Amino acid sequence: MTTTSADVVIEERPRNRLRSIYSSIFSSRLSKIGLCMIVGIIVFIVAGSLLTPYSPYAISVSINKPPSYAHPFGTDYLGHDLFSQIVWGAYPSLFVAMGGALGSVVLGFFVGVFGGYYRKLDGVLGGASDVVMAFPVLPLLIMLGSLFPATNLFIMSLLIAVLWPPVARSVRAQVASAKKLPFVDAARTGGLRDIEIVLRIIVPEVGSIAMAYFIVNVSLTIILTTALQFLGVGNPNAVSWGSTLYWAQQFGFYAGAWWWILVPGAIITLTATGFAFIGFALEEKFNPRLKII
Amino acid sequence: MRRILVSIAIMVAIINFDFIIPRLVPGNAAEILAASSRLPQQAFVEIQARLGLDHSYYVQYVLYLKGIFLSWPPYFGVSYQYFPAQVTTLFFSRLPWTLILIGSSFALSIIIAYFMSAYASSRRAGKFEVGSLYSAIVFHATPVFWTSMILLWVFAVYLRWLPIFGNISNNPGTGLAYLGSVIVHAILPVLAMTLSFFGEVYLVLRGTTQQVLKTDYVTAARTRGLSDFLIARRYILRNSLLPLVSLLTFSLASLISRVILVESVFGYAGIGDLIVDAVVNRDYPVLEGSIFYVTLLVVIGGLIGDFLLVRLDPKLREEDEVRQ
Repeated sequence: MTTTSADVVIEERPRNRLRSIYSSIFSSRLSKIGLCMIVGIIVFIVAGSLLTPYSPYAISVSINKPPSYAHPFGTDYLGHDLFSQIVWGAYPSLFVAMGGALGSVVLGFFVGVFGGYYRKLDGVLGGASDVVMAFPVLPLLIMLGSLFPATNLFIMSLLIAVLWPPVARSVRAQVASAKKLPFVDAARTGGLRDIEIVLRIIVPEVGSIAMAYFIVNVSLTIILTTALQFLGVGNPNAVSWGSTLYWAQQFGFYAGAWWWILVPGAIITLTATGFAFIGFALEEKFNPRLKII
Repeated sequence: MRRILVSIAIMVAIINFDFIIPRLVPGNAAEILAASSRLPQQAFVEIQARLGLDHSYYVQYVLYLKGIFLSWPPYFGVSYQYFPAQVTTLFFSRLPWTLILIGSSFALSIIIAYFMSAYASSRRAGKFEVGSLYSAIVFHATPVFWTSMILLWVFAVYLRWLPIFGNISNNPGTGLAYLGSVIVHAILPVLAMTLSFFGEVYLVLRGTTQQVLKTDYVTAARTRGLSDFLIARRYILRNSLLPLVSLLTFSLASLISRVILVESVFGYAGIGDLIVDAVVNRDYPVLEGSIFYVTLLVVIGGLIGDFLLVRLDPKLREEDEVRQ
């Protein structure tokens, strides 16, 4: 059986793709720093949640104490140990943020691929993405989050529903230009169905940009999620990064507890910055404007 | 042209959305008012009639639309908290304060990012360029409400240099003293927002300055002996105007989001504070009206930006003409 040129091309591309993503993460210094930060934070969270003797909800007598050996990050006005609060509160915040980022990239990816490949759907999908993109994000999230009982899943779906358009736009542009490649025509005359062309050729081409968008979106959703929690949307009594800062804003200034204000925000900043560094490095590599197809 | 259609679609979507969402929540507005006090049944019925809530949904919808389109200024109802102030009056009385914050931080971010990128590009790949890139990303990823809390703590609480909250003091006086009071209260919020926003501007400018520096005319200018600073001013400014304008069209929404957070930390009485208060107190008319106006502002900003883009960029102008 003779191998056609289409076969050869399809076979060797995916392997290179993965390797190129892998190498780009480790080549740029920026992303190495980001990766270290993220790994460090993950280790901190996991180890901390296993090692800390206090529950984040446990009140105690040592009220408003600055950092010490017993309480590494200090305590708040009710005696909650701040270290436990940060370490255990990471799970809701990060869960919502990562789920939201993942969902929005997946949704945007599908919309972009279908919009870019099928001309007929493009007008509708493009219009829909323009409309959604023009909404101011935070006011809408605040309004919806406060009118309905805002569980974590609800906030996550809100984030997905609002953040998918930029991904869709970028993916669509990539798909449209990938469609013009000569081996797409060759594949079609070779007898591949539409859906196979999409899966085997287009997806690997644009998969890398979706990955870059995911990481950048995680940084964005971390900030959005903690901002929503900070404003009191959802349950401010549930321990999370944003709600710790919510209570810090209410009571920390009067009590003079600078550690209460400083530490949770510093951890949020470190996490978001780590993802932003990696995302920036990936984006430089995979930016469609600079990429030559 | 297409952009105008999209904007109209957005406004239609928002108007309907605004109407439907509060109605979906269990508990009618009158019930909420009545829930926190012991209201006799008669008064409850009267309030319902006054607020127009005893009509069917269809009639309410028509009244709502009539309020928006047929009366000027658009009537969204009366606020529950600040009864009997109208929503529209409330919003527009607070709008200028927020615009002060947004405008100043936008202008300041552009200036800072501009100088930084000009200086960074004149020393290729020096420590300054790398450092400024890192710091731009870091500040961009820092949550703005945290930055404001830190600034508030350091400058207002600990050092006592600047006031703690509000947009003007209790007795501002007239004329220059009033202006001074406004400025002093605005310094920290503007600083917080600028720190958070200049990263975006810097990243955009960095791309264009790098591109510009590679062109021939810049090399020619440099060989002629023009100082780096002059080159930066003359060439980089003109060429980066385009991406800056396109940044404006997309960033008004994110600036408004940031200003909401900043205002809620500083207790600064602007739009953001209005929205957050309305959410906390379940003040539905104010919420509906504010979301509508905020979206309207963002859409108008986008349209202006698009218009400017078409005027400035000859490539887009051709495309527009060809399409028509």
